[in-house]
Amino acid sequence: MTNAAFRRTNLEALVEAQGATRATPPLLLPADPYFDLAGEEFGRRLLLTTATTGAEYCLRPDFTLPIVTDYIANGVGQPAAFSYLGPIFRQREDGPAEFDQAGIELLAQPDGDVALDQVFTFARAALDMFGVSPNIRLGGVGLFEALLAQADMPAPWRSRIRHRFGHPEALERLLKRLAVSHDTKPQKQPSRADLVTDITEQMVAAGLSLAEGRTPEEIADRYLEKQALNDAHVPAETLALLHEYLAISGPVLQSLTRIEALAASRRLMLGAPIRAIRRHLNGLGEARVTFDASFSPRLDYYTGIVFEMTGRTGDVLASGGQYDRLLERLGAQAPIAASGCSVWIDRLEAEFRQ
Amino acid sequence: MTGITLAVPSKGRLEELTREWFAANGLVITRPGGARSYLGAIEGLPEVTVRFFPASEIARELIRGNVDFGVTGRDLIHETSETGPQSVAIARPLGFGNADVVVAVPDAWIDVTRMHDLADVASDFRSRHGRWLRIATKYITITRQHFARFGIAEYRIVESLGATEAAPASGVADIIVDITTTGSTLTANALRVLEDGVLLQSEACLIVSRTAKFSARRRAQLDSVLSRLGAEVSL
Repeated sequence: MTNAAFRRTNLEALVEAQGATRATPPLLLPADPYFDLAGEEFGRRLLLTTATTGAEYCLRPDFTLPIVTDYIANGVGQPAAFSYLGPIFRQREDGPAEFDQAGIELLAQPDGDVALDQVFTFARAALDMFGVSPNIRLGGVGLFEALLAQADMPAPWRSRIRHRFGHPEALERLLKRLAVSHDTKPQKQPSRADLVTDITEQMVAAGLSLAEGRTPEEIADRYLEKQALNDAHVPAETLALLHEYLAISGPVLQSLTRIEALAASRRLMLGAPIRAIRRHLNGLGEARVTFDASFSPRLDYYTGIVFEMTGRTGDVLASGGQYDRLLERLGAQAPIAASGCSVWIDRLEAEFRQ
Repeated sequence: MTGITLAVPSKGRLEELTREWFAANGLVITRPGGARSYLGAIEGLPEVTVRFFPASEIARELIRGNVDFGVTGRDLIHETSETGPQSVAIARPLGFGNADVVVAVPDAWIDVTRMHDLADVASDFRSRHGRWLRIATKYITITRQHFARFGIAEYRIVESLGATEAAPASGVADIIVDITTTGSTLTANALRVLEDGVLLQSEACLIVSRTAKFSARRRAQLDSVLSRLGAEVSL
């Protein structure tokens, strides 16, 4: 017998079987932490309500944030594992909607590789219950960061490029801008002290606080840096390398081989992050696995390896990866290994019915 | 339902200009109860009911399909709902109420001249100042859409329902997204529009709802009024 209730029961059993604490965060949560973590882009998906005090609350839009916040509040350091299954709420094109999500969060695990394998296994087991043999798309945040760190370019460009990773249009625009050669002679720049004096005068005249937001020194430094960067080109070979790398997308083994060849020809040391990806491939078995060099969530706390699983409809059924910077962003004192994923139960059910 | 409903701005300059524009095209909008009445008519067209609304409510009612056609600003259609532009059809721009929705930063930010500069500033603002870059605006939907397009995610919106240009000086926000016609208010407040910071060029338009249900008869009534106004739509 296979009906929705039966699949649901199986999924419950899978969630319970993770050797993890079953987490049930409240449905009503303060909205501010979500805006703080993910910005307005995610904020527009929230279902908001306002307390009589004016404080904003939202219906739980995901499980990760409350689980991780609670973990930090109870003192970090001990390895912990959480699993969840329940409703989340998000705005969609055609109105607010309630979805069921299941997932796991593995925090401060001694071996990040083992943890990520457990995440993959969980996601695949969940998809399997719905008869889905997924297409798995892998992305390498750690790999891109390693490549960027070694690519020849003036240092300030690195953070600008990293910041746009995962947003192909913005990254493409930046690379295009970098490719335009500036034939202008380096102009003589005003001294930093003069700039600071000028900016301070302007800010005071406009009634701007000199301490609350951007300071005159910060503006002057970025102004000088920008002028210097206009003269400090990213070498054409580096741009070609980035383009070539970001265009790599296809069956995982083929893609990794191409990246290895690219690394060898450019004398880049990418062995460690490539091996990290290879270590997980056996566990993924017969699934169709692709590696997409430009794939990354648009959230800067992701690290290492990220993934998405899709089925016949192309909808993302499961997504997750490693996010070692998340706990730090939420108040922990140092990076703490974290990995996890969530699966979209409604989409799985729709996939099953197809 | 028989007959069609036209929504007209209920007060101020926009009401005057709308009624003048209709009159110039041979249709006289009457408001029998004066400025406090919210129902009107068009002389000689009994099938058209005129309802007077604030401009932002006209946008909302058009998007929801509660009125059939009306006059409001393009900016309000974009702001009222992410799906606003798909939910209506612009029958024709009316040539008044022109204004731009723009991104403006303090003059003193000499290093920020384009949106990509803002992307850089936003990306490490939090690590420098312990908070997100704050943008004061009443155009929340438009800001979110366009900043996403520029790849800027690291900011918070502070909703501002008036005197937005004063927000940087009062410390409420770092920069603003606001509507401007001549830019003089911005200049007076030592703010500067970014070179590629025009998010939307707006003007008053005659707009038809795509979500309203048009029977053949009502559609014919609509087309007849539109053609007298030199406008047409495909819905």
